[in-house]
Amino acid sequence: MDKKTVSTISYLSRLKLDEDNQDKITSDLENIIKFVDQLNDTDVNDIEPLTSPLEKVAKTRADAVTAENRKEEFLERAPKSNEDYFLVPRVVE
Amino acid sequence: MTWETVIGLEIHVQLSTKSKLFSGGSTGFGAEPNTHVDLIDMGLPGVLPVANRDAFHKAIRFGLATNAEINQTSSFDRKNYFYPDLPKGYQITQMAMPIVGKGTIKIETEDGEKIINITRAHLEEDAGKSIHDLFEGETGVDLNRAGTPLLEIVSEPEISNAKEAVAYFKAIRQIVTFLDICDGNMAQGSMRCDVNVSVRKEGDTELGTRAEIKNINSFKFIEKAINHEIARQIKVIEAGNSVVQETRLYDSVKNETRSMRSKEEANDYRYFPCPDLLPVVISDDELNEIKSNLPELPEQKIKRYVTQINLDESEARIIAASKTMANIFEEACEKTNDSKLVAKWLVGDVSALLNKDNIDIEESKLSSSNFAKLIERITDNTISGKIAKSVLEEIWSSGDDVDAIIESKGLVQIQDETILVKIAQSIIDNNPNQVAAYKGGKDKLFGFFVGQVMKETQGKANPKSVNEILKKLLS
Amino acid sequence: MSIRYKTIKELSEMLKNNDISHPELIQETFSLIEENKNLNSFVTLNKENAILKAENINKESPSILNGIPIAQKDLFCTKDLRTTCGSNMLSSFIPPYSATVIENLEKAGCISVGKTNMDEFAMGSSNETSYFGNVLNPWGHNLVPGGSSGGSAAAVAAGIVPAATGTDTGGSIRQPASLCGISGLKPTYGRISRWGMIAFASSLDQAGPMARTAEDCAIMLNHMCSHDPKDTTSLDENIPDFTSTINDSIKGTKIGIVKEFDLSKLDNDVVKVFEESIKQYESMGAEFVEVSLPNISLSVPTYYVVAPAECSSNLSRFDGVKFGKRSELASNLEELYIHTRSEGFGDEVKRRILIGSYVLSAGFYDAYYKKAQQVRRLIKNDFDSAFKKVDVIMSPTTRGAAFEAGSKGSDPIQMYLEDLFTIPANLAGLPALSIPNGMIESKPIGLQLIGNYLDEQKILQVAHNFQKLSDWHLKTPSEDIS
Repeated sequence: MDKKTVSTISYLSRLKLDEDNQDKITSDLENIIKFVDQLNDTDVNDIEPLTSPLEKVAKTRADAVTAENRKEEFLERAPKSNEDYFLVPRVVE
Repeated sequence: MTWETVIGLEIHVQLSTKSKLFSGGSTGFGAEPNTHVDLIDMGLPGVLPVANRDAFHKAIRFGLATNAEINQTSSFDRKNYFYPDLPKGYQITQMAMPIVGKGTIKIETEDGEKIINITRAHLEEDAGKSIHDLFEGETGVDLNRAGTPLLEIVSEPEISNAKEAVAYFKAIRQIVTFLDICDGNMAQGSMRCDVNVSVRKEGDTELGTRAEIKNINSFKFIEKAINHEIARQIKVIEAGNSVVQETRLYDSVKNETRSMRSKEEANDYRYFPCPDLLPVVISDDELNEIKSNLPELPEQKIKRYVTQINLDESEARIIAASKTMANIFEEACEKTNDSKLVAKWLVGDVSALLNKDNIDIEESKLSSSNFAKLIERITDNTISGKIAKSVLEEIWSSGDDVDAIIESKGLVQIQDETILVKIAQSIIDNNPNQVAAYKGGKDKLFGFFVGQVMKETQGKANPKSVNEILKKLLS
Repeated sequence: MSIRYKTIKELSEMLKNNDISHPELIQETFSLIEENKNLNSFVTLNKENAILKAENINKESPSILNGIPIAQKDLFCTKDLRTTCGSNMLSSFIPPYSATVIENLEKAGCISVGKTNMDEFAMGSSNETSYFGNVLNPWGHNLVPGGSSGGSAAAVAAGIVPAATGTDTGGSIRQPASLCGISGLKPTYGRISRWGMIAFASSLDQAGPMARTAEDCAIMLNHMCSHDPKDTTSLDENIPDFTSTINDSIKGTKIGIVKEFDLSKLDNDVVKVFEESIKQYESMGAEFVEVSLPNISLSVPTYYVVAPAECSSNLSRFDGVKFGKRSELASNLEELYIHTRSEGFGDEVKRRILIGSYVLSAGFYDAYYKKAQQVRRLIKNDFDSAFKKVDVIMSPTTRGAAFEAGSKGSDPIQMYLEDLFTIPANLAGLPALSIPNGMIESKPIGLQLIGNYLDEQKILQVAHNFQKLSDWHLKTPSEDIS
C-alpha cells in the first residue's frame, strides 16, 4: 500500500485525504489489507463465487412506461440547477 | 512501405423499447429536458433496478439474425466511473455473461462479399446528455436518455479500411431496422459508433497500438474520421514516434481527431457483478417464440418478392434495401393489389427523386399511407399515370395528402365519355387538314389528335378513353 | 399511566381500553424524546405530522400496530422528511419518496415519530461516526450504544418508543440490541424490501425490527415483510404469521454451539452469562449439539472485502451533481467531485470506499473480491451442513458489554472484530436475532440465535420461550444514570 497506490485509488474514488490524515489512513489501509490477506491462504478449489445469498433467477418487468414527469421535484433538490437542467461547472472534453 | 489498417467497431444501438432498461421511464425522443426521468433513472439513494424483459427479446433477435450464440443465462455487472450524466457513478452493463455471443455478418466490399465476425453483443444502459454550449461556464445535464437500453455490438478487428467500416455499419443498421429493434435514426443518435483504429506495416503479424475514436453517428464522418486517423498514425510512426493508446474525438468541422481526456490512466472501471440484479434466464419456450416471430430480413424479403410477387431481382433488391422502403412497398401492395405497379413507381419515380435530393426515404415527406393512396388513385382511375407524376412531385415538396392535392389542383381525370367525345369531335372539326392527312395514311398524326385533346383537357383526360374515342371518330 | 418502557402489545391494549388516547400517546412520546434528548438518538423529529396522524387515526382499525409510535432509522427514505444516513453529505436531503418498509408500517397504522441517529452510511459498530454526533447508551452515558443502529437501540432501551426500525449488514441491529439490552432481529436476506433503504452493501443489507421483546419483533416483522416487485432481490416466498408458533414448546429443539467460535477466548464474565443461558435452555428441554463451521474464522476478513467493495460503488452516486451536498470549492468538475465527497464523507466511510476501490481494481479483483465471494460460499455451505443437524445456532451476540466511547478509536480492526459473531449470518443471508440474557457490571449483554433460511419463526420461538422464563428483557436503565 504505497503512496502511489493510495493516490491512485483516492483518485478513482474522487477522494482527497487531508495532509494530516494521509499517513494515518494509509497505515489503516495497510493494516486492513494485511488483515484481509488471510483469505489468500484459503483453498477455494474453483468454487463458484457467491454474489447474492438468493440463489434465484431475476424477476423482470414488462415493457411499459410507468413513470410520471417529476422534473420540478428533481431539479429543486439539485445543488445547482435552472428550470430545465442540472448544472455543473463547464466540462471540457 | 505499405501499411495495413486494422479496424474494429463497437456500435451502440438504442433499442426501441417503450421504457428504459431498468425503469419505467419513457425512452421517447425529443422531450423537454428531464421530463422522462424516473426515480431509478435519477440514481436517488435507495432506488433499485428492475430489468426490462423486452430488451432481452430484442437483443436475442439480433443474435438470431447473426447466427450468434444466445446465452440463455446472462447477468449484469457494474462499470464504475464518474461523469455528470452518469447518475449512479456506475453504468449497469454485461461484462462477464453477455446475452449474445459470437456471430457473423456479411458485408459487400469492392472485392466482393466479406464475413466479419462479431465478438459479442450485450445490453447496457445509456447515460444522460451533457450540454456544454448552452450556458456560460457551465454544463447542463439532461437525464432523459439515462437508462435507455443499448445493445453494444462488438466486432472482431477484421475490418481493413474505411469503406469496409461504413459497409459494416450499414449492414448492422439494415439488420436492426429490419428486426424492428431500433429505428436506425442516426441524426437522433439511435446508433453510435466507436472505432478502434491501428496501423502496421504490411506483413507484420502483431497489431499496432490502437486509438479509439468515440461517438461517431454518421456514415460520412466514420469514413472521414478513419481516413484521417490512419494518416495521422502513419505520420506519427514515420516520424519515429509511437502511437499513444488513447480515446480521441472526431471534429467534423476541422476534419481531424483530437485526444479526448488527459487523465486517461485513471480508467480502471472495477467491474463486478451487480448485487441488485440476479441472472436473467430465457427459457427454451421463450427463445422458440422469438425465433418463430422473427421479422423478415432483407434476403428473405427479396426471395419472397421474387418468387411470390414476381418482381425482378434488381427491383426486389432496391425495395428491400431499407425497412422503410419495404414497409411502403408492402402497405401499398396490400391496399392496391397491384404490386408490379407499386414496384415500378418505387424503383422508378420515387428512387429518382431520392437520388436527386440525395436523401434516404426516411428523410422524405412521403408517408407510407400517402404513397399507397397515390397508387390507389391510379388504379381506380381518378388520375392518370402522367398526372400522378406531378402529384408525386407535389407530395415530395409539401407532404400534403394525395386527395387534397388532387382536389385543390383540379386534377381529377376526365372520364366522362360525353365530354371527351365532344372535345375530340371539336378537335377533329377544327383540324380538317390533319384529319385528311391522317385518313390519307399518315398514322403518326394520331398522336397529334391525342396531344390536342390532352392539351384541351390540361392533361386530365383519361388517355385510354381518348385513344378509343379518337380511333372511333377517325375511322 | 406512564407509557415509558411499555411494549407494543401493552400500548395497543392501553389504546383499546381507552386508558390513553391516540394523540395523548404521541404527545407523551414527544415529551419523552425531549426529556432524553441528551442521548442524541434522534436526528429529525416528525412531530406535527405524527400528532396530525394520531388525531385523525381510524380508532377501529384491528391492527395491533395502529397508533403505535415507531422510530425510523435515518437510513430509510421518508417522503418529504429529511433523511441523512448520519452523514454531512445528506444533511439537507429530503427524499421525494418513501421506502417500502416505511409505507408498510404506516399502512399498518404505525406513527413515525422521527428519524434515528446512526453510524454514517451504516458503517460502524458504536454510533461514533455520525455527522450528528455520538449517541449515548441509556445504560451509561459514557458508553456506546453500539452501531450502526445506535439511535434506534437507544430510543427503545430508554423506553421512549416501544420499537424502532434498524438495518443490519454485519450486525448493525443485533450488536446494538445486545449493548443496549433490547431485542433485535435481522430476517432472512430478501424478506424485507430494500426499496428506499439507502444502500451500503447490497448483498448483505437487511432491514429489521428492534423492540423490547422477541414477540414485539415478531409483530413488527409481520408488517415489515412483503414481496416488492420494485426490489428484485426481495423474496417471493409465503410470509407466515411470525407470532403463530412463538409459544410452542422448544422441548427437543436442537441448538448448535459453534466449535470454532472458541468461547474460551472471551472474558470469564461473558462466558458465565452464556453458560447460564445454556442451562436455562436445557431446563426447557432443548438439546445442545456441537457444530463445526470450519471457515467461520474467515467471516470478518471476507466481510471486509465484500462490504467495502459494494459500498464503494453504491456511494458513487453522492457526487454533488443531482442531490445532496455540493462543495463551495467546486470551480471545475474534478474539484466538484473531490471536494464534495471529501467534505461530505467522514473518515470511516472514506476508509471503506478506498478499501472497496482497491479490492475491485484491476489486478486485485481475483485475489480479493472474487476470492472473498468464494470463501463466502464456503461459509454458506458450512451453515447448510450444520442446519442438517440442528434447528438453531446459538452464540453470544458480542464479545462483551458496551465499551467506553472513544476506546476503540485508533485501530479500525479492533472495531471490526466487534462483529465477529454477527457477520456470518449476513454473509450467508440467514435470519438471526439478539435478546438480552445477562448483565456484566450493570451493563446488559445479549444472546444470538441464528436460524435456517426462512426460519424466523423458529428463532423467535426459541427466543420467546427464554423471555417467558427470564426477566433480562424487563430490566431498564436506572433513572439516575448520568
